[in-house]
Amino acid sequence: MLAGAGLIFALVMVLLLLAFRPRADVGDAGDVRVWVIGLGLAFPMAVLAALLAYGLVIGEKLLPLASDDVVRVGAQGRLSTWSFTYADVPNRRTQDVLHIPAARPVDVSITTADVIHSFWVPRLAGKLDAIPGRTNILRIEADLPGTYHGVSAEFSGTGYDHFTFTVIAHDAEDWDAFLNEDIE
Amino acid sequence: MNALERHRKLTTIWASEKGFKGWFSTVNHTDLGRMFLVTAFFFFIIGGLLAMLIRVQLATPHSAFAGPEIYNQIFTMHGTIMMFLFAIPTFEGLAIYLLPKILGTRDLAFPRLTAYGYWCYAFGGSMMLVAMVFGIAPNGGWFMYPPLSSAIYSPGINTDFWLIGITFVEISAIAAAVEITVSILKYRAPGMSLDKMPIFAWYALITALMILTGFPPLILGSVLLEVERAFGFPFFQADLGGDSLLWQHLFWLFGHPEVYIIFLPAAGVISTILPVMCRTTLLGYGWIVAAALALAFLSFGLWVHHMFTTGIPHMGLAFFSAASTLVAVPTGVQIFAWIGTMWKGRPELRLPMLHLLGFFFTFVIGGLTGVMVAVVPFDWQAHDTAFITAHLHYVLFGGFVFPIFAGIYYWLPHVTGRRRFFRLGELAFALVFIGFHVTFLAMHWVGLLGQRRRIPTYAPEDGWTAINLISSVGSFVLAIGIGMILIDVILHVLTASRGRRNPWGAGTLEWAMPTPPLAYNFASLPHITSRDPLVDEPDLAVQLARGEGYLGTPRNTWRETLTVDIASGKPDMHVIYPSNTRLPILMSAVTGVFFVSLLLKFYWTVPVAVIGVALLVWRWVWGLGRGADLAPLSIGHGITLPNAGMTDRSPGWWGSVFLLTANATFFGSLLFGFAFLWTVAPGWPPPVWFDPSMTELGAGLSGAIIGPIAMRLAKSVNGKGRNSVTGATMALFGAILIGVACAAMMWRTPSPVDHAYGATLFVLGSYGLFHACLAMLMTSFLIARIVRGFTSAVRRAEFSIIGLWVDYTSVIGVLVLLAAHLPGVLQ
Amino acid sequence: MKDIFRILIAPLVWFASFSAVYGLHGLLCGHEVSGVVLGLPLERAYLVAAYVCAIAVQVVLIVALYSSRLASPSPFVRFVSHATGWVGLIATIWSLVPVVFTTYCG
Ligand code: HEM
Ligand SMILES: [Cu+2]
Repeated sequence: MLAGAGLIFALVMVLLLLAFRPRADVGDAGDVRVWVIGLGLAFPMAVLAALLAYGLVIGEKLLPLASDDVVRVGAQGRLSTWSFTYADVPNRRTQDVLHIPAARPVDVSITTADVIHSFWVPRLAGKLDAIPGRTNILRIEADLPGTYHGVSAEFSGTGYDHFTFTVIAHDAEDWDAFLNEDIE
Repeated sequence: MNALERHRKLTTIWASEKGFKGWFSTVNHTDLGRMFLVTAFFFFIIGGLLAMLIRVQLATPHSAFAGPEIYNQIFTMHGTIMMFLFAIPTFEGLAIYLLPKILGTRDLAFPRLTAYGYWCYAFGGSMMLVAMVFGIAPNGGWFMYPPLSSAIYSPGINTDFWLIGITFVEISAIAAAVEITVSILKYRAPGMSLDKMPIFAWYALITALMILTGFPPLILGSVLLEVERAFGFPFFQADLGGDSLLWQHLFWLFGHPEVYIIFLPAAGVISTILPVMCRTTLLGYGWIVAAALALAFLSFGLWVHHMFTTGIPHMGLAFFSAASTLVAVPTGVQIFAWIGTMWKGRPELRLPMLHLLGFFFTFVIGGLTGVMVAVVPFDWQAHDTAFITAHLHYVLFGGFVFPIFAGIYYWLPHVTGRRRFFRLGELAFALVFIGFHVTFLAMHWVGLLGQRRRIPTYAPEDGWTAINLISSVGSFVLAIGIGMILIDVILHVLTASRGRRNPWGAGTLEWAMPTPPLAYNFASLPHITSRDPLVDEPDLAVQLARGEGYLGTPRNTWRETLTVDIASGKPDMHVIYPSNTRLPILMSAVTGVFFVSLLLKFYWTVPVAVIGVALLVWRWVWGLGRGADLAPLSIGHGITLPNAGMTDRSPGWWGSVFLLTANATFFGSLLFGFAFLWTVAPGWPPPVWFDPSMTELGAGLSGAIIGPIAMRLAKSVNGKGRNSVTGATMALFGAILIGVACAAMMWRTPSPVDHAYGATLFVLGSYGLFHACLAMLMTSFLIARIVRGFTSAVRRAEFSIIGLWVDYTSVIGVLVLLAAHLPGVLQ
Repeated sequence: MKDIFRILIAPLVWFASFSAVYGLHGLLCGHEVSGVVLGLPLERAYLVAAYVCAIAVQVVLIVALYSSRLASPSPFVRFVSHATGWVGLIATIWSLVPVVFTTYCG
C-alpha cells in the first residue's frame, strides 16, 4: 500500500514539475480527455477498485469465524484498569494482565463499566471499542508465546496515558497450568 | 453627472460611520468580511500557540510541562479553535468580502444578517477564550464523546462551554450560509448565467449548501447533550434507553462533511488563482463544477469511517469503506484538472504559486493516507494514533492553510491597494513548508510505531523520544515561518507604496474597481457576457465608474442593487438595502444573554432573553415595510424592474427557503435519532409508552390543515385588493391549535428523565411548540401589517414568506404528533 | 430552481438509497429473519433486491435527464446534470456493492 501510494505521489509530482518545462507551443497540451477523463476519472477508479477489493477480502479474513478451537475471554474497561475474565475458568478474574494460549484463536468480549475505551494490542490485532451497553467481540491470535503490550486506545480523560495492560500468551503446557489455577 | 460627483453621492449613501464606531453599526460586506478575516486569523494565532504548547509537552518523555488536566484542555481547544473559530470563519470572511465583488454587485443579500453573524461569532469565540483564560476550557477532545463528556464523568462547566459556545458560533455559520446561498443564486450582475459564474462562486455555493445540511446534526447533538447534562434527559445513557453511539453518528454526520466544507472554499481559491498564475483559463470548468458537487454529496455518505472501531457489523463497515474510497475520485478530477491547467498555460513562480505548490505536495500525501485509512483493517491499527493526527493535518493544512496563504498574497493588494515592498514572503514560505513536513512526517512515523493521540506523556522505553523531538523542532520552524508571514502582511499594510489596479492581470470582476474597494463596489453594475469580463474588456473599470452600466444614477438615499433569474442571469428585481444600524450587534448581545444564562444556569433570564430576541426580530423585519406602493423602477438601459417587496419571490422568501432547509435537516436528524434509539439502542422498549389521545391529535391535525389553507386564502384575497385580515387570523388560530397539541404532548409524555423515549418525545414536542409559537408570532405580525396598511395587492411579499413558515410548521407539527400518538393508536 | 433540482436530484437519491440500504441492513441484523429465496438466504435476498432497485432508479433518472422533454434548456446545466446523474449511478453501484458478497451481520 505504501509503495503504491509512493508511486502515485511521484507521478503527480513529476506531472507538476513538467508543467514548468519551457515550451514553444502550448496549444493542445491541456486536453480535457487526457487530464480529466483519463487521469482524473479512469486512473483513480481503477486503483481504488483494486484497493477496495483488497480491503474487503482482508476484512472477511479477520472476521471471528466459528471454530472449535476458540478460547473465550472477557475484557472490561473501567477508568484506568482492565479486568479480564475467562470462560474456561468462571471464577478467575485478572487485573491488567490477560492470559491467553499461544497459537489458538481467542475471542475477546469487550465491555465497559463507565466511558468508552478501546482494546488494542498492536501486535495481535486491530483495536475495538468498549461501548456502554454493548459487547463487542474481537478475534486475536498470538503466534508465539510471550508478553505483548496492550493499550487503551480511546481517550478517557486524565490518566489516559498510563492506561495500559499486558497480554501473556502461554504455550499449551502453561495454559493448562493457568486453567488449573497454578499461575497467578 | 460625472464620475467624481457620482462617487461622492454614492459614498454618502453607502459609507459606514467613521472611526471605530463604524465597526458596531456597519452592515457593509467589505467591512464585515475584513472583520471576519482578522478575527479568524487572531484565532489562528491562538490555536497555533496552543499547538506549540502541545509540541513542547510531547518533545520529551515524562514531560512535566503541563499536567494532564491542563494538557487535555490545550489539545481540545487547539482542535476546537482551528476547526470552528478559524477555518469556517475564514471561509465566511473570504466569501463575504469577495462574493459581491466577484459577482458584480454591491452587497450580499441580507447585510444586517451578515453583521449579526459576525457578532455571534465574536461573542461566542470570546466565551471560549474566557473559558481558556480561567482554566475551565473544554477537555474532552474536539469530538466530545459521551459518556466521558456527560455530567457523571465531566461534572465541571468545561463541557458546557463547548456545547453552548460552539452552538452560539454555529449560528453565524448558518447565517452566513443562508446569506451566501441567496447571494450567489440571486445577487449577480445582469447577464451572468450559471455557466458564466466565476468558479469561486460555485465552490462557495456548494460549501454554503453543505453548511446548511452539515451543521444541523451537530447543533442537534449539542442541544441533546446539553439537555442531558443540565436536566438529566438520558439521550446518551445506555442503561436508560439512550446510546452513546448516537452522539458519534450525529457528530460525524457533521464532522466528515466539515472536512470538505473546509477544503472546498480552498479549492475555489486554487481554481481562481492557479489559471491567473499560469496566464490561461481553467481547464474543464464544467467538470470541476460537477466534481465539486459530487464531492459534496459523497462526503455525506462517509461519516461511519470515523467509527470503524465501534463494532458496527461488517457489511455496514464495507459500505462506508467503499464510499470513502470513491470520494477520492472527484478529488482526483480536480487535482488533474488543475495540473492540466498548468500544462495549458505558462506557470510563473510568483509567491501565491509557491503556496499552491505547497498545497499540491501536501494535499496529495494527505489524500493518499486518507485512502489508506479508508481501508478498514488498516484503520483498525491506525485509528486514534498519531498517524491520524498527521493525516488530518496534511489534509487540513495542505488543503486549507496553504491555499489560504496563496489567497492572502493574491488578494492582499486588493484589500490594501498597495504593492508588496519587503520580500519576506518567499523565505517564510520555505520555513513553513519545511517545518510543516518535518513536524508531521515524524508524526506519521511515530503513529505507526504505536503512539496514541491525545496522550500527555510517554516513557523513554517506548522508543519515541527522538522522533518526537524532531517533530517538535519542526513545529518551531513552522511557527517562525507563520510569524514571518504575519510580519510580512503587517508590513504590507503599513508601507505606502501604491499598487496598480489588477496587478496579476486577472479576468474576474473584483479587479474591475479601484483598490482598496469603495463602500459601494461598483458605481454602476456591469453586463456580463463571458467568464472573464476583464479579459474581454480591459478598461471595464473605467466604464463602470463613468456610470455606463446599470443603476448608474443614485436615487434618493437608497442603497440600490438588483437581482437576477437564477439560471439565465436576466435581471428580475430591484432591491433597496437597509443602511447602517446597531440592531445586529444588539440582537447578538441579547442572543448571547440567552446562551450565557444557559451556561451559568440562570434559568430565569432565559425567557427574558428569548422575548428580547423576539422583540428585536419584530423591529428588524418591521422596518422593511412600505406604506405605499412603489412603481417599477428603471435600472438604466431601458429596463424597469419591480421592487423586491412587490413580488412573491422576494429575497426574504429565498432566505426562508434555505433557512428552512437547514431547519428541516435539524428536524430530520432528530427523527433519525429517535428511530436510531428505538431500533438500535440497548435498553428498549421503554417501561411506559405514551398514551395516545384522539382529541389532542385531532386538534393538532386540524390546526395543520387550517393554517396553510387560511394563508392561501389570505394571499388570494389580498391579491384582489381586499382586506385579508380574516385569513391571517385563521392562520394564527391554526398555529395555536398545533401549539396546544404539542404542549399537551409534552405535558403528558412519560417522564423524560427515566428513559430516552420520554426524553425524545419531550424534545420533539418542544420543537413543535417552538415552531407553533414562531408561526403565531409571524401571523400576528402579518395581522399588524394588514391593519396598519402596510400591505396591498402590490405590496405582497410577506404573504409568501409567512405562508412558507406556516406550511413548514404544519408539516413538522403533523410529524411530531404522529410520532407520539401513532404507535399507541396502532396497537 | 428547476435547474438546481436537475443538478442535485441523482446524488440526493443516491444518498437516500445508501442510507436506506444501510438502515435495512441494520434492521435485518437486529431482528432475526430466516428463510431462503431463490437459493439465497432471506437477508441477502432482501439486500440484493434493494441494491437492484436502487440501481434501477438511478438508471431511470439518467434516462430522464437525457430525454429531450425533461432536460434543461441550458447546455451547461445539461452537462452538469448529466455528470451528476452518472455520479449518482456510479456511487450507487460502487458504495452498495458489498451487499453482493460480504458477510452480513458479522
Ligand atoms: C499551526 C500548525 C499546527 C500544529 C503544529 C499542530 C499540531 C497539532 C498536534 C501536535 C496535535 C495532536 C495532539 C494529540 O492528539 O496528541 C493536533 C491536534 C489537532 N489539530 Fe493541529 N496543528 C496545527 C494546525 C492545525 C490546523 C490548521 C488545524 C485545522 C484547521 C488543526 C486541527 C487539529 C485537530 C482537529 C486536532 C485534534 C484535536 C483533538 O484530538 O481533539 N491543527 N495539532
Ligand atoms: Cu471523515
